[in-house]
Amino acid sequence: MSITINTKINGSSVTATADASTSLLEFLRDTLEMKGSKLCCNTGECGACTVIYNGKPINSCVTMAADANGAEITTIEGLANGDKLHPVQQAFIDTGAVQCGYCTPGFIMSVKALLDRTRNPTPQDIEEAISGNICRCTGYNKIVDAIELAAQKL
Amino acid sequence: MEYFEPRSVSEALSVLARHGAEAKIIAGGTDVMVDIKFKEEPGGLVNIKKIPGLNGISENGAGLRIGSLTTIREIETSALVREKLPVLWEAAHQFASLQVRNTATIGGNICRASPSGETLGPLLVLDAKAKLAFGDGEKTVPFTAFFQGPGKCSAGTNGLLIQIEIPYPPAGSKSVYLKHAVRGAMDIAMVGVAVLMTPDSSKNNIQDVRIGLAAVAPTPVRAAKTEALLRGKPLSPSLLREAAVLAASESSPISDQRSSAEYRHWIVEALTRKGLEQTWQAATGKEIA
Repeated sequence: MSITINTKINGSSVTATADASTSLLEFLRDTLEMKGSKLCCNTGECGACTVIYNGKPINSCVTMAADANGAEITTIEGLANGDKLHPVQQAFIDTGAVQCGYCTPGFIMSVKALLDRTRNPTPQDIEEAISGNICRCTGYNKIVDAIELAAQKL
Repeated sequence: MEYFEPRSVSEALSVLARHGAEAKIIAGGTDVMVDIKFKEEPGGLVNIKKIPGLNGISENGAGLRIGSLTTIREIETSALVREKLPVLWEAAHQFASLQVRNTATIGGNICRASPSGETLGPLLVLDAKAKLAFGDGEKTVPFTAFFQGPGKCSAGTNGLLIQIEIPYPPAGSKSVYLKHAVRGAMDIAMVGVAVLMTPDSSKNNIQDVRIGLAAVAPTPVRAAKTEALLRGKPLSPSLLREAAVLAASESSPISDQRSSAEYRHWIVEALTRKGLEQTWQAATGKEIA
């Protein structure tokens, strides 16, 4: 059954239809052609699909597209201001926190949500914030460096 | 696939009366969306998230009421839960990942009726109850009678869990939730053990103890024989050993990809011993002698 979804993505109002079984990730990638959020485990375990939903980081692969109705969603595409990268994106580049890069959009969204919650995250806050994001290149130290740098710059 | 978005409990119940057999209730989606992709697509989805009044945590006399749509993160960040029900807080804190905690609901964790459900051992030892709505009225069912098998619970196909009622544990009691898993985050328990111990007024004996075992039987269970063995006695080293072995014998684990049944028996024994030690020491201020 097709349902109509009225939502706000990266500040812009969007209206589109999707089947009831569609995930928010499929809606973003396949219906809206926004390929920044990554499809990986598709079971809510790896965090590559993380988006910010009404201010909170969630796994878009296990969220119904129908739940986008009336919600405000921020994806990785919504962070840069024109050509100017968001401080979290810039910090990942400056510290070399990217290896293969596939997990990076999800990590950046988790970190953005963390720094929206607190500008002075403790090591425990950082660990909690990225515990749902998996990097199989296992470059976590650089990612933690990036978070600390971004927190200073914000 | 049909899709329903009821705006009231009564509307949800009438949808379930017509479609409950083939449709699935969905809230956070962290389990049901995975089923849709990797198992079988249900005949319909009943999205209950738009029903008002099923959210939130409130104090009710000598206990808390938690709406079934309350997210695990809301429970984890509730000062009331942390202060009054630390064993439930611990389970919410250890639950999956931040992303999942932000969407998964306690009602979903309960009605999934997974033997390893993170909140279920704690709810069992808290003597919590499920408030269910049916077409012919509401029913309150203690969690000790709620779970009927993997994926099966008292809500059936036409009922709706609307609230969880949790009495405050007895004064002076101490509780702990111990989870055995490989990873810190995003891992399902091989074994979960919740213990809630109340000493008598002299703090020399166990007045009451409740032990909840998860992931080691078709449903989460209370170790009733072990509780009976311990009641009214001081916790000596020999009683502790005996109780831990008895708790392991009360479990009936299976072997799966996470661990063998034999290993799970050992872990039930070890975690029961650890849980009893910790709660005894915290509740009485005494070493085990």
